Amino acid sequence: MTNARVDTARPPMGLGMRSLLRADTIVMLNSKTSLVLSALLPIVILVATTFGKGQSRLGGSALIVGLALTLGLLTSCLLGFTLALAHDRDIGVLQRLRVTPAPNWMIMTSRLIVQVATNLIASVIVVIVGAIVHGLTLNVGQYLLVIAVAILGAAVFLAIGQALVGLIRSTNAISAIGRLLMIALLLLGVLGGTGILGDTIKEISDWSPVGALMTLFSDVLNQSAWSGQDTGSLLACVAYVAVFAFIGIRWFRWESR
Amino acid sequence: MSEVNMPAHPPVLDVSNLRVAYGARTVVDGVSFQIHRGEIFGLLGPNGAGKTSTLSAIEGLVKPKSGRLLVDGIDVQEEPLDAKARLGVQLQSSSFQAELTIQQIARLYGGLYGVKLSREQIGTSMRAIGLEQELGKRFKQLSGGQQQRLALFIATIHNPLLLLLDEPTAGLDPQARRGLWRRIEELRGEGNSILLTTHSMEEAQAVCDRVAIIDHGLLLTVGEPSELIDKHREDPRVLSVAHGAPTLEDVFIGLTGSEIRD
Ligand SMILES: Nc1ncnc2c1ncn2[C@@H]1O[C@H](COP(=O)(O)OP(=O)(O)OP(=O)(O)O)[C@@H](O)[C@H]1O
Ligand SMILES: [Mg+2]
Repeated sequence: MTNARVDTARPPMGLGMRSLLRADTIVMLNSKTSLVLSALLPIVILVATTFGKGQSRLGGSALIVGLALTLGLLTSCLLGFTLALAHDRDIGVLQRLRVTPAPNWMIMTSRLIVQVATNLIASVIVVIVGAIVHGLTLNVGQYLLVIAVAILGAAVFLAIGQALVGLIRSTNAISAIGRLLMIALLLLGVLGGTGILGDTIKEISDWSPVGALMTLFSDVLNQSAWSGQDTGSLLACVAYVAVFAFIGIRWFRWESR
Repeated sequence: MSEVNMPAHPPVLDVSNLRVAYGARTVVDGVSFQIHRGEIFGLLGPNGAGKTSTLSAIEGLVKPKSGRLLVDGIDVQEEPLDAKARLGVQLQSSSFQAELTIQQIARLYGGLYGVKLSREQIGTSMRAIGLEQELGKRFKQLSGGQQQRLALFIATIHNPLLLLLDEPTAGLDPQARRGLWRRIEELRGEGNSILLTTHSMEEAQAVCDRVAIIDHGLLLTVGEPSELIDKHREDPRVLSVAHGAPTLEDVFIGLTGSEIRD
């Protein structure tokens, strides 16, 4: 170890960020669960729903593709991302990174970027598979909009996930609460959205994270004209991101004990 | 290097009146000491004495309740990143990402400390610490001693001014322990300073220029190992535990008591 001493300046940010991004990407590619959660599970749903009742109506297909996309985002962000982060906090990976000259935001941003990129790629694959098995023909503009909505969705669920890991120290508790939260959000967004649980629930459902995202996905896939409901959904998503990201960053607990 | 002739250098580490608390519980209570260039400084104390907490404050992992911490004259709390760039750290318990290979870990931490390492350079360094066969292995697949060697390599990857080692020889076999002592002395020879914690009085006497004994968060005494023995040889608490001429261990047990800690 004959390196010249670098005691005059802190290391360049760009090199640090690149190194983190590379490492986080390798970790992501090596972790089978995150890939399964973000792409494989939604594809299974897409394929499974083609059996049995034939989905001839366009609205039905779009809804199912929207659901598959949302599910992929929900599981990989709310469970995959949070559990990996909590685990790294538990075993001291985050601590080791934090004693380097890399600022905390850089360590977190690198992880978020890799997670969002994974979700993007997974979403594109899910849409393509969904379009094929459910016979949707989509134009380039629709694909771009799907990507845009997927980024928004990833941001919403990552922000909620960030708040979850930020506030709760125990990995087991995060795992349990994350699962419950996921089921609750899905039930509220999907079942509540059908109206069978009553009008009030339907109203709440449309504004819930899953409900709002499903509205946007199915409107994009159906090529519906932009509606007031879409504006509402968009604003709701932005609000969720702002509120939960603030909580998750402001009160993030770096230590597990 | 003619650093000895340049008294203008600030101490490499200046800890003054450090107080660390977890909730209402104060675990480091007004600790002060300094470390100079080229010095190996040992922090001794029973389990739970506050050694790791003191290091954590210097490393910026915990925010002190009060006190001032200067690394090479730089305030750790005001300019944490500049301070961290000068520190090499081996934590008592820490881990690298389980999915990364040794090679990838070396590249990651090289990058974080601003050192670009080529494949060849990493290979050479790993050969020097006997890990050339393990380059493609993951951290979890290494033995405890190999993990320690890798952690020390990562801690020194940027040739830091001050190296903080928290129980670096815990769990090592005698050969590896001697190897680490040699490495620490080499690093000192290159002008680095080292702050280490240990439970081994033998180790403290073998490698440390000066040691401090802390207990219950209080700094009890500081000095060269032989100085401490001289200073406390008449202390009745030390005499009551000594068998024959007092040793550093007698001083340690005399000052910190003989009951077992958490
Ligand atoms: N994150 C934490 N939260 C609450 N208490 C803590 C935390 N870390 C340490 N402590 C407590 O602070 C005290 C000092 O702990 P510290 O780890 O500094 O001791 P130590 O001298 O390093 O001990 P050891 O030799 O066992 O490593 C202990 O009583 C410990 O239980
Ligand atoms: Mg300790």
